[in-house]
This record gives sequence, C-alpha cells and structure tokens, in this order.
Amino acid sequence: MVMARGFGSSVPLQSGIVPRGSRAVVFDSIFEVFLLLGTLVGVVVLGYMLYNAYKYRFGSGNGDFDEADRLTVGELPTGGGGGRKLFTSFFMSMVIVVSLISWTYLTLLYVEEGPSAEDSLHVEVEGYQFGWRFTYPNGHTTDGVLRVPADKPVRLTLTSADVFHNFGIPALRVKSDAIPGQETETWFTANETGTYTAQCYELCGAGHSFMSAEVIVMPPDEYEAWYESTNGTQSSENTSAIHSADTNALQPTAPANAGRLTEVVV
Amino acid sequence: MTDTNPERTDGGTVTDDHGHDFPGTGSIKRWFVTTNHKDVGILYIVTSLFFLVLGGVLAWLMRIQLLVPRGPGETILGPLAYNQAVSAHGLLMVFWFLSPFAFGFANYIVPLQMGAKDLAFPRLNALSYWLYLFSGILFGVSFFQGGTFSGGWTMYAPLSVPTFTPDVGASTAVLALVLFVASVTVSSVNFLTTMHRMRAEGLTLRSLPLFSWTILLTVWMMLFAFAALLAALLVLSSDRLLGTTYFAMESPAGALLWTHLFWFFGHPEVYIVFFPALGVMAEVFQTFTGRRIVGRKWFIIAMVLVAIQSFAVWMHHMFLTSINLQVKTLFMITTIGISLPFDLMVFALIYTMLKGKIRFTTPFLFVFGALLLFIIGGITGVFLGAVVLDYEFRGTYWVVAHFHYVMVGGVTALVGGLYYWFPKMTGRMYDEFLGKVHFAIYFVGFNLLYFPLFVAWETPRRVFDYAPELAPWHQLATVGGFVLGLSFLVMFYNLFKSAFVGDPAPDNPWEYAHTAEWAVPSPPPLENFDGTPTYRNGHLEVIEAGEIAPRRDRSDTPAGSSVSADGGIAASSKTAVSTELPTVESTAVEGPSHASIWPFVLSLGAFLVLLGLSPLQEAAFPSGMAGAAYATTAVGGGVVTLGSLVAMGLEPFHGPVFEEGEAWPFSGIDNGKVGMWIFLASDVVLFGGFIGAYVFTRFAFGWTGWEPIPSDPIPGLVNTYILLTSSFTVVLALVAAEKQHKGALVTSLGATFVLGIGFLVNKGLEWQHLFHEGIWLSTNVRSSTFFLTTGLHAAHVIAGLIIALYLTARAWRGAYLEDSRSVEYFGLYWHFVDIVWLFLFPLFYIL
Amino acid sequence: MVSTKLYTAIYAVLFVSATIQVLVEFAGLNYWLAFGVIMVLSAAKAVLVAAYFQHLRFEPRSLTYLVSIGLIAALALTLAASYSLL
Ligand code: HEM
Ligand SMILES: [Cu+2]
Ligand SMILES: [Cu+2]
Repeated sequence: MVMARGFGSSVPLQSGIVPRGSRAVVFDSIFEVFLLLGTLVGVVVLGYMLYNAYKYRFGSGNGDFDEADRLTVGELPTGGGGGRKLFTSFFMSMVIVVSLISWTYLTLLYVEEGPSAEDSLHVEVEGYQFGWRFTYPNGHTTDGVLRVPADKPVRLTLTSADVFHNFGIPALRVKSDAIPGQETETWFTANETGTYTAQCYELCGAGHSFMSAEVIVMPPDEYEAWYESTNGTQSSENTSAIHSADTNALQPTAPANAGRLTEVVV
Repeated sequence: MTDTNPERTDGGTVTDDHGHDFPGTGSIKRWFVTTNHKDVGILYIVTSLFFLVLGGVLAWLMRIQLLVPRGPGETILGPLAYNQAVSAHGLLMVFWFLSPFAFGFANYIVPLQMGAKDLAFPRLNALSYWLYLFSGILFGVSFFQGGTFSGGWTMYAPLSVPTFTPDVGASTAVLALVLFVASVTVSSVNFLTTMHRMRAEGLTLRSLPLFSWTILLTVWMMLFAFAALLAALLVLSSDRLLGTTYFAMESPAGALLWTHLFWFFGHPEVYIVFFPALGVMAEVFQTFTGRRIVGRKWFIIAMVLVAIQSFAVWMHHMFLTSINLQVKTLFMITTIGISLPFDLMVFALIYTMLKGKIRFTTPFLFVFGALLLFIIGGITGVFLGAVVLDYEFRGTYWVVAHFHYVMVGGVTALVGGLYYWFPKMTGRMYDEFLGKVHFAIYFVGFNLLYFPLFVAWETPRRVFDYAPELAPWHQLATVGGFVLGLSFLVMFYNLFKSAFVGDPAPDNPWEYAHTAEWAVPSPPPLENFDGTPTYRNGHLEVIEAGEIAPRRDRSDTPAGSSVSADGGIAASSKTAVSTELPTVESTAVEGPSHASIWPFVLSLGAFLVLLGLSPLQEAAFPSGMAGAAYATTAVGGGVVTLGSLVAMGLEPFHGPVFEEGEAWPFSGIDNGKVGMWIFLASDVVLFGGFIGAYVFTRFAFGWTGWEPIPSDPIPGLVNTYILLTSSFTVVLALVAAEKQHKGALVTSLGATFVLGIGFLVNKGLEWQHLFHEGIWLSTNVRSSTFFLTTGLHAAHVIAGLIIALYLTARAWRGAYLEDSRSVEYFGLYWHFVDIVWLFLFPLFYIL
Repeated sequence: MVSTKLYTAIYAVLFVSATIQVLVEFAGLNYWLAFGVIMVLSAAKAVLVAAYFQHLRFEPRSLTYLVSIGLIAALALTLAASYSLL
C-alpha cells in the first residue's frame, strides 16, 4: 500500500495535493487551506457588502431606481432583476464549496482506512465517570495514563462504562466518541516524544471539566522496555494524581452522583 | 355588541375594540382572555424577552466562571451548577426565547400579510401561548427541585436518565419541554391551516410576502421535527418517571437511539430558529433599500429545498460515533447540499442593495449586521462540513462560536424586526438615535464576545478548565458578553418609553414598505381590515362587506363531503386539538368572539399535572408528605384540564368570518378537517418515532433473537377485532348523522365507546397477567418497548374515549344531526388510532 | 358516496385478514417470509381504513400527500438509523 508509507515516518509525507501523514499533519494542512480561503471569501464578500451599502446609501445619488417603479404598499410581491449576477455568484460559491469538500473527502477515506493492523499498536480505551482506562494487548491496564511509542501508529478502540464520553488528544488531533454498548475506532501517530493531555469532549457529568488523562509518548526502545516490564500483569499504574484530586474535589458538590458512581462503574 | 347584522361583522369597523365582554387593551383581564392574534403576538414577544433575560443571566454566570481556567475547588458555580447553567441557557435560549420571539412576529404579522382577520383557530392560538408560558414556568420551577437538568441542551443519553441525573428538577425540565412541544404542535396545526386556507383572494402561495413564506416553511418543519422530539422526550420521560430502559446504559444502542431521535429533530430546529430571521432580513432589506428582492422566485425555491433537506442531514452531528463510512459519506453530501441554497439567499440579499437608496435606520442596521454575522457563521460552518475537520472541531469552542454566530445572528435580525414592526404594534415611533446607539453597542459587544471564541477554539465545550494560554481570549469574550447584554438596556428603555410617549406612527412610516400590514392603521383594528381584503386586481383592495356576498357559495363546497352549518366542536387528543369552526351562518347570530378564559385554565391544568408527576421514579411517588402533595397536584391538575376541555367544547365561540380566497392545496376542505389531518400527520411522526425506536433497538439487539413480550398473541388479536369493530361503528355513526338518524347516531357512538372500554379492559387484563409473571416496564428493554409503545397507543384510545363520551352525550341531546363534522373529525382520529394498532399488533405480538 | 354495504364488506375483509396474520404466524413458515406476508397484510389493512373509513379516496389528493410526508419522514429515520448500525 502506497498510502501506508506515511504512517510510521516522522517526516510527514505529502503525496501530491491530498494531505497524508499523521492526524496532526492532515488536520493542520486542511485547516490552513480552509482558514485561508475562508478568510479570503469572507473579506471579499463582506467588503463587497460594505462597499455597496456605502455606495448606495440614501442621498448618495448612486441609486437609480425609477421612482415610478418603486415599492408601493399593498402590491403583490415580485422580484427585482439581477438574476444573472445572482447565478454567477451562486455558481462560483458552489464550485468553491464542492471542490473543497471533495478534496477533503479523499483525506477522509485515508483517515478512515487508517494504518494496517500489523503495523500498529492496539489499545482499548474505556471512559468512565470521570476518567480513562487503557488496556494494552498483553492485558495490562492503566488508569489515567496512556503510554505509546513515538512514530508508531496507535489504534484505539473506544467504549464507555457508563455515559457518553468523547476521548480526544488535541495536540495529536485525534478524537472519538466513547459510547456505552458501542465500539468506535480511531488512530493516531505521535511523532514527537513528550507528555500530552487527553480530554473528554462530551458533557458527562459533574467531573467533565477535569476528565483528562496523560498521554506519554516515549522513545520506541524505552517504550519496549516499559512494555516488557508490565509483563501482562493487571497491575494498575495509577499516577494520575490530578485525577484523584479532581474526584475528591467533586464529592461535596455532587454527592448524589458520586454515591451512585460506584454501583454504576462496577 | 349590537353588531348582529351578518354583513356588518366582517366590515364592521372598529377603530376601538369590540363590545361583547371583550375588555380593552388597558385591562388586565383582556390579556388573560384574549384570542386575538395581535394580542397573542405581543404576549409572545414580551414573554420571550423575559426568557432572554433569564438565559442571558445564566450566560453571564458562565462567562464570569470562564474568565480564568478554574481548578476543581476554585469555581464560582460548582461543577454541577455550571452544567446546569450551560444546559438551562441552551434550552432557554433556543426553545423559550428564540422561537417564541419569532412567533410573536408571526402571530402579529402573518395574518395581516395574508389578509386574514385572525388565525383559523383563535382559541387554539391562545392555548399555544399559555402552554408556552406555563412550560417556561415549569422549567423555572425545576431549578428549585434539587437543581434543573444538567446534561446539556442536547440531553445525550444515558447521562439524562436518573441513574446519572437523579434530581427531580431534571425530570421537571424534561416535562417542561414536553409541554413546550405541545404548544408548538398546537400552533403548527393552527398556522398551517391558516396559511394554506385563509389567504386573500389573488394571494397565491407564490406571491406570499417573504416573511410569511419563511414562517410557512418554519411551521412545516416544526410540525414534523417537533413530533420526533416529542417521541424522544416521551421516551425519556418514561425512562425517568416510569423506569423503562430505552436509554439505560445496558440498553443496546440506547445512547445512539437518543442521538438519532434528537438530531432528527435538532437539525431542522437549526432552520426553524433561523428562517424567521431570514424572513425579517428579506422584508427589511426591501423596505430600506427601496428595491424588490433579487431573484425572489429562487430565494423561495432555495428555502423550500433547505426545508426538505433539513430532514436528511441529521447524522452529520454523529460523525464520531460508530456509524459506518457509507452513511458518513451520504450525510456529508446532503450537508454540503443544504449549505448551497444559503449562498444563493445571501447573494440575493446583497444584490438587492445595488442601485437602491439605502436608509440606515435602526431596523436596517440590525438586519444588515445580521447578514454580516450570518456570513461569518456560514463560512465557519463549511469547516464543520468537512468531516476530517469536524473530527477535530467536535466538542470544541469552534462549534460554540459558529452556532452563536448563526443563531445570535438570527436574533440580531429579529431585534431589527422588533424595531421595524414596533410602530405598527404600538402606534408610536421608537427613538431612532437610541436605536442606533443600541445597534452600535450590540454589534461591538457581539463580535467582542464571539469572535475570540474562534481564536480560542481549542477550548473543549462545556468545561471551565481550559489551557491557561487561552485565558485572554476568554476574558475578551466575557467583556463582550457584558457589553452585548447591557446594550439591551438601551433597547428596553427606548421601547418602553416610546410605547407611551413616542411620536404617533402613521400607517406606513417606512415609505417603501410594501406588505399589507403597512396598509392598515398602526396599531391595526381588532379585525385588521375594514372589509375583505383581496388582490384580485394585482394589488391590495379592501372590499366592503356587502360587495362580496355573492361569492359566499364558493366558500365551502367540499367534494362529496357533508358540510353544513353551525360551529360545533370536534376532536381532541394528547395535545388537545379542539377545533373552532368558523362558519358563515353562525355569525348571523353573533359577532366573532375574541375572548375565552379556557386556554389559560387548560394550560394551568396541564402545568399542574406535569408538576405533580415530576417526582415519579419507577412509577412511584416519593413517600411522605411531599409525595402526597405532588400526587394531589397531579390529580387536581387533571380535573382542571378535563374540566376546561369540556368547558371549551361547550363554550359558544366563533372565529371571525372568512371568505375562502386562495386555499391551495386544501381548497374546498373545511378548516377543521385540514387541521385534523395536519395534526394526524404529526402524530404519524410521533408514532413513527416510537416504532422507529423499537425497530432500531431490536435491530441493535439482534432482530430474531428478540422474543415478543406477550407469550400469547390471542389477547392482541381480540383487541384487533375490537378496534376494527369500533372503527366500523364510528363509520356507522357518521352515516347515521348524515341521515339525521338520532337513534342510530347515539347507538353507534355509544357502541364505539363501549368497544373502546372493552379494548382497555382486555389490555388491562393482559398487562395484569404480565405483571404477575414478573414482567414490568423496567424488566428489560423488550418489555420497555412493549409497554411504552402500546401504552402510548392506549393513551390515544383513552383520549378518543373521552371525546366519544362527550360526543355521545351531545348527540343524545340532539347535536350533530345538522352538522356532522364533529363526528367525522372524531372518526378520522379514531381510525388513525386503529391503523396504528394494525402495525403494533404484528410488531409486538407475533413477529 | 360509499354505501353502508361497502363499509360492511371492508370491515369483513379487515377482520379476516387480521385472523390470517395470526394463522400465518402459527403456520410455521420461514421467519422472514412470514414477516413479509404479515407486514404486507398490515399495510393493506391500513390502506383500506385510510381510503374508505377515513375516505381519503374521495378527498383531494393533497391530504393523502400530507400524511405520506409524515410517513416518509418516519421511515427515513428508522431505516437510515438502523442502516447506520451495520
Ligand atoms: C441569544 C441567543 C443565544 C442562543 C440561542 C444561545 C444558544 C446556546 C446554546 C444552544 C448553547 C449550547 C448549550 C449546550 O452546550 O448545551 C449555548 C452555550 C453557551 N452560550 Fe449561548 N446562546 C445565546 C446567547 C448567549 C450569550 C449572550 C452568551 C454570553 C454572554 C452566551 C454564552 C454561552 C456560553 C458561555 C455557552 C457555553 C458554551 C459551552 O461551554 O459549550 N450565549 N448557547
Ligand atoms: Cu466528559
Ligand atoms: Cu445539523
């Protein structure tokens, strides 16, 4: 697959006009084009509007409608002329919008296809009120911290233990719903090591504002070492100090919810 | 009123208000009993502005909270309170402010623009208003029942079920929405009947003014979209109050079910709130540029396309759920498709300015500003249509900024509309200088508030803890929020003062205004026109009452149906559609009535019922005093509701006379019948939503692995027989009434009633049996769908029986022999209930 | 209009076809075949009731279209939503 070449590499491949590469590259390049064109169209249209509003202001003498043909009370409404211009502009806007969206559709197909299963690390993500649990292929489970190797595509399968959540890592431009009873899939590739934040993007209750997780992108060899050390154990690495502090802080304000929380989660 | 001459009733004049117990505008009583469309319009506008303030204060609270990112303990509103503020703000602004504000204008202006004296069913119009007001009060009450709903205006499941949002107030908020939907349904039926049936002669749909066009399309969308929302809300209410498990987290695809039902409503809702604003823009642009709109025909076609397509884009709100790629592609395409007609409309408005003589009055400034804002909202919306970008924007402030630009852009146009029509409504001019000051502050505040949110788009939605580097933008926004809000003080001061001491307004203060509302005095007389308006010669003429008398025979000649005299009473249902039949003959006795207290009392009753039911959980009231008080409230409310329905039925009420002019596509069909069918069409969608929910859930569960709940189809079959027979007896009743056979009429109606009772008894026994086997609503999702869907049907049967009982009693005393329409309309409803059962039976009993 | 005799005949047809639906169920046919037969019978009954008892046949077509719009909307929702699960 030609497409798949871009996934692992830290240098984003730009194969022609359709952006390829990590999710961040894809998003940023499309966003940039949209911003540019959007601003351009906006400036032109708004400018044209303002210019004409000024030009034809009352008393400017530019308006040249026939006084005999002016609007009168009680007439049956009809349209004014100018249809050709209307269609020209409509047609132009249509071309812009349709071609822009079609262009992004090709990228959508690429994103939907994702990296091949063999090439990627597969992690299951489960959202719950108010945190994230990650399960690795060897069965190792952690709460609040997701560790992944740099430069390797990561495939996530998401679900929820209670309500509708949405898992997103803004810096890596990846996001997907976590829905109880359903599984959704998404993927990302992190090119730079470091610590990122994942965040919940669907209102899920009192702790929603603080429902985050750490995403630690490690150099591949360090990751391997860490992964070996987990040895398939179930041990939970609960480093999420922020996370537990959050839930504590939430207790007094949401006793009703919190009380039920335990029943629900198990 | 001495006005007993039938000729005089249309024409009779009326610079001041009619006599017969109809109090003047200065009297408080007037506002409780009025059914006049202009009064109702004003009530809508004033009430909606009140909800604007409420929603605005909540927005301020949020904006204060957002001044800086807040950690867990550092908040002003606690986390749950913040969620409540977000949710209540969204719900209030969208439902209780924006739409009703627009409908205030619709009520006031549309009948004038189309040459009608009032809406088809004036009492129902008052009923819509009171239901709306009481639904808002109910929503207000929810704040004091442990806290209102906190799951966002989208109410996503399963956060919306009591497991996660246990407060009573959350249930109350949902019930308040149910009441609101009832109001919308009643008013949709009313507007559609009016706008299709009661246009002045010569005023074809094609030549309807654009504001009326936008309202017409809005109402069509409302009719179907709100029916889907009603289905969703009833299921949610049942999950909350009765313990069904549609949306419980264990339910297969319960969360997705909600998103489908909600967005099937939710996307059309976007246009429902925006279209009226578009209509205001079109009118105001024409008036203040002095030019007719460019490409009027295409403008209308574009709107029609949008209205239709709006029902085929809902899954673009679900791109990140588990829906498949084919569906994503399809909905991406329909989404671009729906955005294109708007380009055309925007260009049409812009080109209308060319060669005009633009007068920058306050209304024009607001509308012009609205168009600017809408263009920005539209461009940023295209971003969301690109699915790859949407994947990232979902749940962020990009969405928040975008929809505020569009929706509050719409509000901007409507505020322009308020200035535009203020002189018409009050008879006085507002202060132009203060109007401009308002616009300047408003426009600056708006952009200061919402533009920074695009820059800070990476803030997740509905949170108050965000990346610290975004704080400056949020601070700008907060300042903007206050500027925007305070600008309204200028408006309130201006309008309030001007209403009393402004310069008197002439009929047409705007010179180039062309629609019919400017042809009548400001404010218009009670019955709008001094005669019958007609456009038969291509422009508005008001014809003296006498002149058109010969045309009367044309007014009602239904093909083959048996319409005769006398305003009767017909039909009701879950939303209490009763019908006033304006007929020529009846007014020979009495002039049009404009007063009825029953819409108010009925709505109060409905309010009490829902308030009383709000603390239910698992179908049980809480124990103790509180539970008893609630139960009493519900029962008392039920009595008031039923009593006022009967009182409304018996009340001699006459709508203003109208001559059938243009009535496409329902010409020759009586208003009452058209209203009934329109209502039934929405009921089709309601049941469609329920059956759809069942099919969807069963499909997710595994179709064939799903055992029907009743182990034995025979009770169901017996009920099918019973219902079919009762349909047959209703047919016989109508035949008897047409043949003026009193005995047969009473017998057939009575038989229908008895059969209906039989149906319910049989069902009761069947349910009893199931309960004994330990199968209850909350047992599993199969039992939930079974009990709730057949229960909704049973509720329709009960409503039908109440009407049947009423009809039987009246028939006993000799009614309906002259005029069988009430029997006929009841039949339409009853057969519909029968048809629904014809599908429920196989789906729930044998398949 | 329609005579009482015709109404009675229609009533009889409805009655019988409801019975057939249950018989089909007990006949032990293939599930989807039975499903098809039963739903078609339901639809046929609905059309009969609407056309004659609600006399849509004798009304301007616009009323039929009106109700059909509601029906199409509900069907679109059901089918598209179910399909999206696949
Ligand atoms: C006047 C018309 C307005 C309408 C129709 C409107 C509508 C909405 C809606 C539908 C939501 C989404 C609620 C939710 O996520 O559940 C919302 C959120 C919000 N609105 Fe408004 N709004 C209006 C005015 C305002 C004003 C004047 C302000 C600021 C002073 C404001 C500030 C906010 C804020 C801060 C949020 C929360 C955003 C979030 O976190 O998702 N809104 N609004
Ligand atoms: Cu969340
Ligand atoms: Cu939408």
